[in-house]
Parts: sequence; structure tokens; C-alpha cells
Amino acid sequence: MEAFAHFVAELSAGEQKAAQAAIGAGFAYGLAAIGPGIGIGYVVGKAIEAMARQPEAAGMVRTTMFLGIAFTEALALIGFVVFILLGL
Amino acid sequence: MLTVVMTNGSTGPEVLLSAEGEGHSSTYTFADCAIIPAGREASEEIESLEECDPGPSPIMPEANELYWGAGAFVVLAILMRVILYPRVRRGMDARYQSIRDAYAEADSTKAGAQSEVAAYESALAGLKAEATARIDAARATLEGERSASLADANARIAARREQAAAAAAQAQAAARGDVGAAVAAVASRTVEVAIGRTPDAAVVASAVESAMSVGVSS
Amino acid sequence: MLGLEFPPINEVIRWQEVFPTFNKIGLIAVAAAVIASLVFILASRYDSTRAPKGVRNLAEIIIDFIEDNIVMQTMGRDGMGWTPFLTSLFVFIYLCNVPGIIPIIQMPATARMAIPLFLALVAWVIYNAVGIKHQGLFHYFKGIMFPPGVPKPIYLLLTPIELVSTIVVRPFSLAIRLFANMLAGHMLLVTFALLTKELVQGGNAALIPVGILPFFMLVFLTAFEVLVAFLQAYIFTILTAVYIGGAMHPEH
Repeated sequence: MEAFAHFVAELSAGEQKAAQAAIGAGFAYGLAAIGPGIGIGYVVGKAIEAMARQPEAAGMVRTTMFLGIAFTEALALIGFVVFILLGL
Repeated sequence: MLTVVMTNGSTGPEVLLSAEGEGHSSTYTFADCAIIPAGREASEEIESLEECDPGPSPIMPEANELYWGAGAFVVLAILMRVILYPRVRRGMDARYQSIRDAYAEADSTKAGAQSEVAAYESALAGLKAEATARIDAARATLEGERSASLADANARIAARREQAAAAAAQAQAAARGDVGAAVAAVASRTVEVAIGRTPDAAVVASAVESAMSVGVSS
Repeated sequence: MLGLEFPPINEVIRWQEVFPTFNKIGLIAVAAAVIASLVFILASRYDSTRAPKGVRNLAEIIIDFIEDNIVMQTMGRDGMGWTPFLTSLFVFIYLCNVPGIIPIIQMPATARMAIPLFLALVAWVIYNAVGIKHQGLFHYFKGIMFPPGVPKPIYLLLTPIELVSTIVVRPFSLAIRLFANMLAGHMLLVTFALLTKELVQGGNAALIPVGILPFFMLVFLTAFEVLVAFLQAYIFTILTAVYIGGAMHPEH
């Protein structure tokens, strides 16, 4: 940690700003991925449960599952876009 | 500390390793950048890639890409709508229709065959009924003839039996007459010997007759 | 200590122009349209009364897939008229995604914002137009802003949210979903390719065997991108179909 602080202190002002932006971007993406991660897990888990109970409805369940994943995943992807906007 | 610097080389991405503190052994030109800044020559030398135009934000759509992408998609969508999809679809529909027609034809053929089978079976049933009727008639005729000839034979047997019975009765009566006459002769002779006088023939005959009928009946 | 300096992102996703205004993205987009057209043209040349095979089979599988898995599931029988549009959308997006894993090209055209944004705007225009045409302007907006079956006071909160989500958020989430998925996949591939190259060619002999690990990851991610390319095309198409279907048959 000390070495890191030393390393940061040696950077120029512009580089420091870039470093902070990179740290912020990392947090933005990391935090944005938590919720959708849980959400997608829940959606897929429930969908598999439904398919196991009623294999004849598997096609419909799969379609709906993909829709649910798509909506949930959008949040993580917005985090990814913010990551790019901030960090790169 | 070693750093790796990645550049757009002539044969794809090029990775350079350099120890920190030393300058880059090679200099770059604007040709190494993704975008050559307006008004600069590609062969112009630059100190490092930092001098490259960083370009617009990676999120922002770029006009030229937008136009080419939009044009390509619109052309494809219109072609698909007007020519490509209807032609493939028509082919699919025609094939599906032909398959359906073939199915319908097969069904009608099957129905025809089934009706022929039904007609054959009904004809068969009619013939069988006729044959049964004929057999019954023949059997009835046979039965009639048999019973008629049986009755005829029975009648003949009965006649013969009567004839035989009559002949037997006649023979019996004749034998009886002979025996009676003989017995009467013997009896009258016996009486004549015993009492010396000849008994009345009629009395002797009736006595013999009653004695014989007793013997026959007993 | 080795430091991997990632190239500036524009180095990875922007390309020198083939000729002015025409770069690799444009090339991929045009190639996608041409390949899709060729597939269907060749397909329509086959004798359609025979059992389909080859290109014709491919085209018929695509059409059947769109009809059975997208149109029938979301719009029902009335939506059959949208099959050609959805087919071209699906095929175009797939053929723009798939260059991301084709060697030498290695760039999904949808990892740039332009094409996803345009397609999302097309979808936005279409589903709004369909809604207005089928329900009338007043009923369409009433259906969006005041969804039935909600207690009155909730509308205070719900109406602005619904309006913004239908009119603004939908097209952007549609565009960003496709764009960010493909860009993320591309960046992952770049990262592991760079890592492999640096470890193997970095001049340190001890690190060369370690380079096999990011290489395996690269192979695995390439296989994963095959799935993602298909899945994103499918999701974009089915969401468009869901939006159009929702505009055609409002919830009662």
C-alpha cells in the first residue's frame, strides 16, 4: 500500500487524475455487476426449476428466460459502458 | 521495471518490451496510430503514441459507420421484404402444399381401397349366405327322401310280417284241426273199447275242442 | 515485475479507413448484407419441391426459427407479416457479430455503437408506428402512460416511469445491450490475446509455459463468443418482436 502511495505521488497531475478515473471505473463496473449477477442466477435457477417440473413447457420457459436475462443483464452492461466512459 | 507497449505494426499488433527509464529504441510515425490526425502525414515521426489523436469516445457512434451500416441494413431489409423472403417462402409453401396434397391423395386412395375391400366382403357374405341356403335345401331334400324310403321299407316289412303271421295262423289252425281229429278218433276208439259202444261224434269233438282250447289258453 | 500496457481503446476498436468514410465496420456491414442476400438468392434457386439441403436448408431453418421461436412466441399469427423484417434483422446482426471470432477480421461490427443504435432506432420507429396505427395515437399513449389495473394514486409515480421507459430507455437499452455485449467480448479476447503474446514473446523463458493459461482462456472465450454472437442476435430480434407485439395487442 505504501509502495502504491509512493508510486501515485510520483505521477504527474494528469496521470493522477487518470489513475483515479480508472479506480472509479473499476468500482463502477464491479458494483454494477453484483445485482445483475444475483438476478440472472435467480432467473435461470427458477427457469430450470420450471423446466424440470414441466418439461413439456420447456420451450416457452426458455424464451421467457432469455427475455428475463436480457432485461437483467442490461444493468450490468450499463455499468460496463460507464466503465469505458470513465476509465479508458 | 519492464513495460510492454502495444502498437499497430505492419503485420498486426506489435508488442515492444522496454525497460523503464530508457527511451524507446524506435520512434513512431502517425501511421502507427488508429487515426491519422487531419493535416498530418502518415510518415511523420512522433515521439510516442501519446501524440496520436485519441479519437472520439468509444461509445459515440461515428457518422460514416452509421451511414454504411444503415445503408447495408436498409438494402437487406428491403430486398428481404420484396424478393428474398417471398421467393423462399413460396418454395416452402409449394413444397408443404405438395406434401399436403400427397397426403390427401394417399388418404383418398386408402379410402377407395377400403371401400373396395368392403364391397368384396359384402359380396363374399352374400355368396356365403346363398351357399348355406343351398346346402340347407339339399339337406332337407335328402332328409325327405330318406324318411320316405324308410317309411316304404317299414311298410314292406310290416306287410311281410302280416303275411307270415297269417300263414303261421293258418298252419296252426290246420295243425290244430289235424290234432283234434286225431285226438277225437283216439278218444272215441278208447270209449268204444271201454264201454263197447260208439260215442256220439259231435260230443267227442266238442269235448276235445274244449280240452284243447283249455290247453292252448293255459 | 512486468506491466501490461493496454493499448488505447481506439487502437483496438477503430480501424484505418479502406477508402475515405469506408472502414472495416462499413466493410463488415456491407459484407453481412451481401452474404445474407446471397444465401437467400441461392436458396430460392433450388428446386423447392425436393427435400431442402445445403443453402436452401439453411435459409428455411432460419425462416422456421424466426417464425416458430420469435414470431409465434411473441406476436402470434397476426405477426407473420413481420417475419421478413425480423429475419433480415436477425441475419444482419448475427453476421455483424460473428466476425468478432473469425481470424484476421477479429472485429464484431456491432462492437461500435453506430449499427446497434441505428437498428434500435429502426425498431423504436416501427413499434411506435405500429402502436399508433393499431390503437390510434390517443389510445396508444394512454396505454403506455396509464396501464390498466393499477390503483389511481400509483399513476403519479408510474406514468412518468412508464413513459420514459417506453420512449427513451427501451431503444437505448436495446442498442447498449448489443453494443456492450459485443464490445465486452471483444475486449476480453484482446486482453487474453495480449497476455498470451506478452508471456510467450516477452523474452522471459520462464514465463513461456505460463502463457498456455491465457491461451486456453482465449480459446474458451472464443467458443463462448460463438454462443454470444447468436444469443445477442436472438435477443435483439425477440425484444423487437416483443415490443412490436405489445404495440399491436395492448394488455387489457
